[in-house]
Amino acid sequence: MIKRIVIADDSATARMFIKRCLQIIGLGDAEMVEAEQGKEALTAAKAAPTDLLLTDLNMPIMDGETLLKWVKASPKLMDMPVVIITSAGNPAKEQELLKLGALKVINKPISPPALMEALSDFIE
Amino acid sequence: MPHRQTPLYQAMFSAVSQTLENMAFVEVTAQPEDTPKNLGATVNWVSMLIHDPFQGEIRLAMSASLLRELTANMFGLETDEVGQSQQQDIIAEILNTLTGLFMTALLPDDQTYQLGLPEHGAGEFPPVDEDSIAWNLEIEGQPLVIIGSGAGLLKAEQV
Repeated sequence: MIKRIVIADDSATARMFIKRCLQIIGLGDAEMVEAEQGKEALTAAKAAPTDLLLTDLNMPIMDGETLLKWVKASPKLMDMPVVIITSAGNPAKEQELLKLGALKVINKPISPPALMEALSDFIE
Repeated sequence: MPHRQTPLYQAMFSAVSQTLENMAFVEVTAQPEDTPKNLGATVNWVSMLIHDPFQGEIRLAMSASLLRELTANMFGLETDEVGQSQQQDIIAEILNTLTGLFMTALLPDDQTYQLGLPEHGAGEFPPVDEDSIAWNLEIEGQPLVIIGSGAGLLKAEQV
């Protein structure tokens, strides 16, 4: 069961859309922690047990790919599923990110069905 | 080949349509004439650099009234409740999303690309010149203009 989700995107609009999609697919009761860039997301994910990280790729200070590498290198966070939600994700980039340990890569504009499919193993 | 029939034009038109239909539930159409409609006295614009595999820039401009309506629509607000920061964030995210879709459509599947971050324009919206291509579009009669510049894009236009 997903109880805590960290959402990393430098756009408040994108975070709003992601939260809206999470609510539509039945995850509205989860605690949703917002971060504007990767470093902030990493701190938020370490602050409390986190069941899921949804992150954009193209962010200032620490981008989503670097965040993914940090998560997968951290003994504390390495098992946390990471879903990349990006406007810059073509098939070649998707393969790179999956090799780095991303659970799924979803292209923007995000939709509830795409998020539902990506999280199907985690939704009851 | 006329500009509007090129794969480059179609790729951008499709990217803009998909972005705005999904985010704001609005239909994007091409302006009927080649002469672009006036964007109005107050223009909001944002730009984004393409770093790789070629250097280029995509700029998006729309009238203040259109941006206010789109923002209200997306945030579920009345137009007089919309704040400046919400509008700036929306226009940046629209450009970010449509540029990604455009590049994905333009490049082969095995080609990665790198984009910059959206930056808000200051001052007058730079006009089309010999190094740029324009997409003159509209939403419910209100103009929305996209300008792409850089040798890589101009080369793609000729394919």
